[in-house]
Amino acid sequence: MDTQWPRYEVFEKERPDWPHRNAGSVHAPDAEMALENARDVFVRRPHCLSLWVAPASEIFSMTAEQLAGFDWRSVPAGPDSEPYLVFQKQTQRAAETFVVHVGEVEARSHAEAMSHAVEKFGSGGVFVWWVCPARAVTRSEESDVSAMFAPSESKPYRQPHFYKVIAQLREIKSKASE
Amino acid sequence: MCANILPTDITLASQNADPAKLAAFEARITRGEKIEPGDWMPAEYRKQLVRMISQHAHSEYVGMLPEGSWITRAPNLRQKLVLIAKVQDEGGHGQYLYHAAETLGATREEMIEALLNGRAKYSSIFNYPPLTWADMGMIGWLVDGAAIKNQTMLAHCSYGPYSRAMVRICAEESFHNKQGKEMIYRYALGTPKQKAMAQDALNRWWWPTLMMFGPHDSDSPNTPQLARWGIKTKSNDELRQEFVDETIAEAHLVGLTIPDPDLRYDEASGHWLIGKIDWDEFWRVVNGDGPCNKERLAARNKAHDDGQWVREALAAYAHKSKSAI
Repeated sequence: MDTQWPRYEVFEKERPDWPHRNAGSVHAPDAEMALENARDVFVRRPHCLSLWVAPASEIFSMTAEQLAGFDWRSVPAGPDSEPYLVFQKQTQRAAETFVVHVGEVEARSHAEAMSHAVEKFGSGGVFVWWVCPARAVTRSEESDVSAMFAPSESKPYRQPHFYKVIAQLREIKSKASE
Repeated sequence: MCANILPTDITLASQNADPAKLAAFEARITRGEKIEPGDWMPAEYRKQLVRMISQHAHSEYVGMLPEGSWITRAPNLRQKLVLIAKVQDEGGHGQYLYHAAETLGATREEMIEALLNGRAKYSSIFNYPPLTWADMGMIGWLVDGAAIKNQTMLAHCSYGPYSRAMVRICAEESFHNKQGKEMIYRYALGTPKQKAMAQDALNRWWWPTLMMFGPHDSDSPNTPQLARWGIKTKSNDELRQEFVDETIAEAHLVGLTIPDPDLRYDEASGHWLIGKIDWDEFWRVVNGDGPCNKERLAARNKAHDDGQWVREALAAYAHKSKSAI
């Protein structure tokens, strides 16, 4: 059986005023290839301004349900403090949106980062939490934008509104009723 | 591009589940909450989702093959660009769905292995051959149209990762469907030869497309359970009827004839009533004996084997970069 390589979670920023949002995951032998795969899988259409990938094994996830039953006294702490990225799922409505980037905390372990995240960003109305050490995240560079994401802008035929079939059918209908 | 919910054998759901947990779980679904990876769920919920999502992923993946075979024969550059984009999307849709199944504990290795060795099921529609260029339009109009019906329903399903994959897929399938309509309208309203091509394609794809919705409700005993858990909120027959009503109206407008001598409009219900679906054919194709089953599986295996050197090269590169640091 072939190995499909480790899983990387993918975060996509689609507009300047939007945070990075989790889009799904890809498999890759390293972070560089994960970024390439993420581009191919998730950026066939505009707009993408930036992509992040992080090994799934580095992400500590908790749903509101899990958080309710979590024993914080058992949180282990590592020796050194480092920055962690915090992500939240904030709504049950917008079906396309899962966890979005909300900020950073300093912590000595994944679990400690989670407890700091809940303290700092509040747990009301949050359905899922993710924390991930900042060092585990690989980001597309500003200089990559034109090579990686611009090509999707020049393919209007990928958009449904490129095809005027609704107007066409309306015209056929009105001719038929004449 | 897929639909085809195969029948399942849900025994009494979650027989062993803790009743309090099960009640809380079902209450969440009733409230319209999404279940996310990490949340408690009945084993049967997980099992049914893995089955449905992996079959759906395989369908998208195999769905690249029938249309891929026409890329080199596209009649002009615009059509070629459209077809390449569409086939690429199907590959991407497979990736979204494999990801969704992975969140339930299924591994990519197991799923790909099951597809390649023929154990896994995928939508029966992809075992039919596209014989003419008009089939490229007909697949977009009918097959993608039928798939969108099913997928729009699944976009509202209770499992977060599956519903999100569906939202992404539906947006992209809308392009597939519309480019197909554009082509079929043009042919149906074109020269007598073009019109004959469109009609011939409709004759061959109509019945296999209706089979994509799966067996009649009377033969799908699990639908009530899947509905209760917010996975399938409409039955096979309901979805099929919606599709039939919309598609027949459109076919008649562009002057195409539905290949069903028993077709009639029922004034009382306002629905089109179709003739008998050949379920023997459906089961034959699902169980491996359709026109192209062997060819499809062979093509997927060849693609996998031919990609071996690429995977090896990538792994070697990753190893080298790591040791360089």
